Amino acid sequence: MTLGAWVELITSGLITGGIYALVALGLNLQYGLMRILNIAHGEFLMVGAYLTWMMQTTFGISPLLMVPASFGVLTLLGIAIHWLCFRRLSATSPNLDIFEARGLMVAFGLMFLVQNFVNYFWGGDLRGYDYLTEPIKFGDAQFAGNKLLVFALALLFCGAMIVLMRLTLLGKGVRALMQSPLGAQLVGINTRVLHPLMFGLGLGLSGLAGSLLSMAYTISPSMGEPYTVTALIVITLGGFGSMGGALAGGLLLGVVEALGMHYTNPSLKALLSYGVFIAVLLLRPEGLFTRKSRKA
Amino acid sequence: MNSKELLIRDLLVVFALAGWGLSIPYFGSDFIISMALTCLMYIALSSSWGLFCGATRYLSLATSAFFGIGAYTCALTLEKFSWVQSIAMGAGIAALVAVVIGAAVLHLRGTYFAVLTFGMTELIRHAITYWEKSVTGTVGRVLTVVPERDTIYLTVLVLALGTILLSIAVRRTRFGLAMLCIGADEQRAQTLGVNTKLIKLAGFALTAAIAGAVGAAMSVRWTYIDPHTVFNPFIGFQTVLIALIGGAVTLWGPLIAAIVFSILAETLRLQAPQVYMMSLGLLLILSVLYLPGGLASLRWDTFKGWWLDAKAWYELRRYEWSGDKARDKARAKRKRELRFD
Repeated sequence: MTLGAWVELITSGLITGGIYALVALGLNLQYGLMRILNIAHGEFLMVGAYLTWMMQTTFGISPLLMVPASFGVLTLLGIAIHWLCFRRLSATSPNLDIFEARGLMVAFGLMFLVQNFVNYFWGGDLRGYDYLTEPIKFGDAQFAGNKLLVFALALLFCGAMIVLMRLTLLGKGVRALMQSPLGAQLVGINTRVLHPLMFGLGLGLSGLAGSLLSMAYTISPSMGEPYTVTALIVITLGGFGSMGGALAGGLLLGVVEALGMHYTNPSLKALLSYGVFIAVLLLRPEGLFTRKSRKA
Repeated sequence: MNSKELLIRDLLVVFALAGWGLSIPYFGSDFIISMALTCLMYIALSSSWGLFCGATRYLSLATSAFFGIGAYTCALTLEKFSWVQSIAMGAGIAALVAVVIGAAVLHLRGTYFAVLTFGMTELIRHAITYWEKSVTGTVGRVLTVVPERDTIYLTVLVLALGTILLSIAVRRTRFGLAMLCIGADEQRAQTLGVNTKLIKLAGFALTAAIAGAVGAAMSVRWTYIDPHTVFNPFIGFQTVLIALIGGAVTLWGPLIAAIVFSILAETLRLQAPQVYMMSLGLLLILSVLYLPGGLASLRWDTFKGWWLDAKAWYELRRYEWSGDKARDKARAKRKRELRFD
């Protein structure tokens, strides 16, 4: 293999990895903060993708404009869902274990609901549109313009998310809640505001990822599930609740998949990612990058 | 009712169900029989799921894996062995796989366990698809030797009733009590001398064996199987859903929910499959939120509780929206200010 082919391979891995990281960041926020394992996360990515596609094909609105729009729409949707379902759930569950199991079931219900709603509304066909498809050359490696844009934006938003968590007061509050819910509430952090907001933010991030994804790939109502599973893999790789870990895990998984697919064959992709997932869950359930296990 | 009366009642219900089930092939049309078959399949699957997962509260999503393994085993062995032998082999291999999986993951609890069993299911599905593609060169299999329709129906009926009888029996033994104990508090159960590892493994293998046998019996009905139909994660999801909506800890909950669901599925699925799935999702959310004990826990008091909740909610809203709340607040504030002046 030439150097150019190597660069192309690694970069294509990094591009998918960037999307994975973005989806995983949202899921990580929801699981790390509220213990809601949102199996329906990928479905909201699909909703974001469909919104962008619809606006692009019927009204001719640029996908770039739709990125913040779908982020906003899905954030609002997330706050509404939290208000309708999870608020009551956390009020009625006797302990965290039961809340987790019930939350998982509610998320399954949401998954059926959203996926089939989109299927009913827009039909089950593959959709797509052309946006910035001309190749861009770097030396002897060349990439599609839209994929590079997707990668750059995904990295930008991941970075923004991490900065938000690290440097702002809001992020400090969220991290405090992750470390000790009771302690954080004692020092005056309001869970009634933060929980819906962060749930919404998580969904917004996945809508944003879907919007980016629709620029470069074809979309269908069943596209969400693989991303949910990948996001689960990524957050187990990076450790539950760790934002930097999710970013590193996402990029790593993207590269591992690209390399693995190149050296074996493409139908092994799913097998490979599930294999990695199960191995990590069994051997290091606290994540690859965490040094010592923290009490949940 | 004491325990003996309960046992007699349960056995009588099973007896009546057996009579109904046996008579259906004689008067029902093809449509009714196929509906009854689906219904019986889900009764067996969700009752066996409830038997282990309901009692111990280990949320397993691996049902479709065992179902698919049973179906594949039956498809591979039916040409050489008899009908009963193939089903037994399907059950045996599913149980074996369950022991291997269980030994690896049963020490994890809660969400980890659910996610891992789901991952294992997908891993098995993709592994078999890959193996079929690269070794045999095809993805699906056509079953050439197929038993008669009535034989399949009777087998599934026997499996469904057998599962219910088994769960009646297990509930009355030390084994069933130990599983309930693990569900209530695993550490305490261990302290009190329950061999939790062995019990969990045995329970998991038992559910897997039943799911495998059902898969083996149902595989011949399709006459053509491929990994995407028999390892369909939806089979597993729907099993869990039925058990949870019916009430996973109860004996009759899964059965009631399975009947309701089969009727709903057959009437809605042909006209509007998406609407069926959407209502499924909505029902699941509503039942988790408002009826966490399942359909079997539905009593008159439940309706009364909902009515009181709704009334309280309405009163609160009226208090807010009529401006009374704001006025009361202002009044309290004025009072406070007067006191300090």
